[in-house]
Amino acid sequence: MKLVELVLLVTLILSIALLLTFAYMYLTPTSEIRNLAVFYLVTTYNPQLPFYTVNSPEAVTAIVWDYRGLDTLFETAVFYLALIAALALARKLYVEATPEFNKGNEGLSVIVKTVTKITSPMIIAVGASIGLHGHLTPGGGFQGGATIAVAPMIIIIVFSVLYLLTKRVTTEKMLLLRSLGLIGIGLTTISAFIIGLTAGRTTYVFQNMPKFDAPLGLPDKLNGVLISGTLWFFNLFEMLAVASGFTMAFIVLMLVKKEG
Amino acid sequence: MKYMISETIVYLIMAVIGVLSTIAVYMAIQERDLVKAVIYSAVQSSFYALLYYFLMAPDIVLVYLPVAVGLIPGVLLILISKTERWEKE
Repeated sequence: MKLVELVLLVTLILSIALLLTFAYMYLTPTSEIRNLAVFYLVTTYNPQLPFYTVNSPEAVTAIVWDYRGLDTLFETAVFYLALIAALALARKLYVEATPEFNKGNEGLSVIVKTVTKITSPMIIAVGASIGLHGHLTPGGGFQGGATIAVAPMIIIIVFSVLYLLTKRVTTEKMLLLRSLGLIGIGLTTISAFIIGLTAGRTTYVFQNMPKFDAPLGLPDKLNGVLISGTLWFFNLFEMLAVASGFTMAFIVLMLVKKEG
Repeated sequence: MKYMISETIVYLIMAVIGVLSTIAVYMAIQERDLVKAVIYSAVQSSFYALLYYFLMAPDIVLVYLPVAVGLIPGVLLILISKTERWEKE
């Protein structure tokens, strides 16, 4: 019965896939690009248009943190409100005393533990690379932070949550890191504004590169290395905040008492 | 003509990946063992990540892989460990 169902399903999907494969001949994308896309592609990295460009070769990050930066700020706010709600639901349900951890008895086998010890620094390195190169290559703060958050989650599952707590990775510290990230994002949004205030010139909140009516802005290069103004700082602080927020949520989830 | 053939191959690969991901969804729904269902769901997510890669959206791939293969199965496994592993009739 189950086999018949599966065969039926596969034939159905295959026929639809076949249809789609042949239908592509009538749906071939043309080489013409819409005007909006042309605007983004021309201005995302173009030193010859100093008042329009973002100086970031990664158009997606430029759109996410510069062209529509306010949207992303509110998305970040929504994510943190969700985390705060999760913490509020679990409050007083968990105990966070650092208990003594008897080595070797908790968690999975030695093979899994050794592999985890080798791979978790690699995961963190890849996440940091995705986050900090977000203005050059595909990726960005959220992607890097989510990748980093996989490492503590694997450690929690393989070693148990008490192992993380004995390594002094507590929810208080994660809360501190997350607050640091949030404060950093907030300061980055008004950094150009503060520069303008101190120099006595017109600048805007959430400004990145110099504009026509606000010729002061953030530098696109720092010591010869491209940082694309605010984009690098946004990615850094977002990565910190996302990674610590996810880690905190996992610790709280695993610490909640079973008997309630 | 050569361009068209290479384009068609990419579309064919995408169709096959779509079929495989749908089969993974079917297996995840049919499975009574919730841990295995989570693994099937992660397999489906990896196929989707491949699809996004072929659609030339590497940013979405980088969000999708850690969230859908790493974080969501982790949270679901934690939740399953707090309830029962087998789905009842």
